[in-house]
Amino acid sequence: MTLKLLIVDDSTVIRNRIARLCQDMRLPCLEIVGLAGDGRQALALAEQFRPQLVTMDLTMPQMDGDECISRIVDRLPETRILVVSALSDKATALKAIKKGAQGFLRKPFSDEQLVESLLELIR
Amino acid sequence: MTAPTPIKKALKPADVEVFAETIGHYFERITGEKALVRTAYLLETEAPPQDDFNGMIIVHGSYQGSVCFAAPRGLLTHVLMRMGQQEYSDADHLDIVGEIANTLAGRARRVLGEGLEITPPHTYTRAGRALPSPASGTPLVIPFTWQIYAAVLVVHLDVLG
Repeated sequence: MTLKLLIVDDSTVIRNRIARLCQDMRLPCLEIVGLAGDGRQALALAEQFRPQLVTMDLTMPQMDGDECISRIVDRLPETRILVVSALSDKATALKAIKKGAQGFLRKPFSDEQLVESLLELIR
Repeated sequence: MTAPTPIKKALKPADVEVFAETIGHYFERITGEKALVRTAYLLETEAPPQDDFNGMIIVHGSYQGSVCFAAPRGLLTHVLMRMGQQEYSDADHLDIVGEIANTLAGRARRVLGEGLEITPPHTYTRAGRALPSPASGTPLVIPFTWQIYAAVLVVHLDVLG
């Protein structure tokens, strides 16, 4: 079964890196359905494609990741969200999990850490 | 009645150490090679150093000020290559300098806590302009080298008490 993945980060380089790793590391179960640079774009793409998985940055313009997580969880409660953020304090991670995220990966991350976190989310 | 003005204090040496540690950690994680962090110094009179590309994070919350990462093109091109990027335009360099600034400031929250609230990066080239930093104290420059390249992190923060 293929799972739809939406990648959300305000950095184009990071969005591309995550997309490329998903392809290069041969995660055939993932189909990337969208790349979003802020929370508003992410919400629109999430409603359009109804992804099962989302990687979500927190510090973004327009709408930040916190608010975006709440809205996605409201509308698509089955969607699993992996937060990928530089905000490294425990309180931020706990807040994201409380809002409905299933995982938290701190930046900077290695290729292996990203793949492992995504696999963890899929299991 | 007006609200009392918060007391502003300087960062403690241990807080500065956090930023130095984040630089080392970032380059080791992304490139496999540690950056050599040099002795930090206070910038008493000169303007903060700028480089080919600059990423500035405005900080608010329990801290007030800015964190700015300034780096030469060559260093950023190497980081882009290590991330698997296949294009190296100015836009890509601006993107990565902002992302590094964001990551270094965000990682400092591990020790300084969630009171260090950060904004998305403001990025600019050597010809561009920094935003005015909301801090009133003296900026601190943390210089480092990675391979043959020299870069700096300028930490300009007041601690609100």
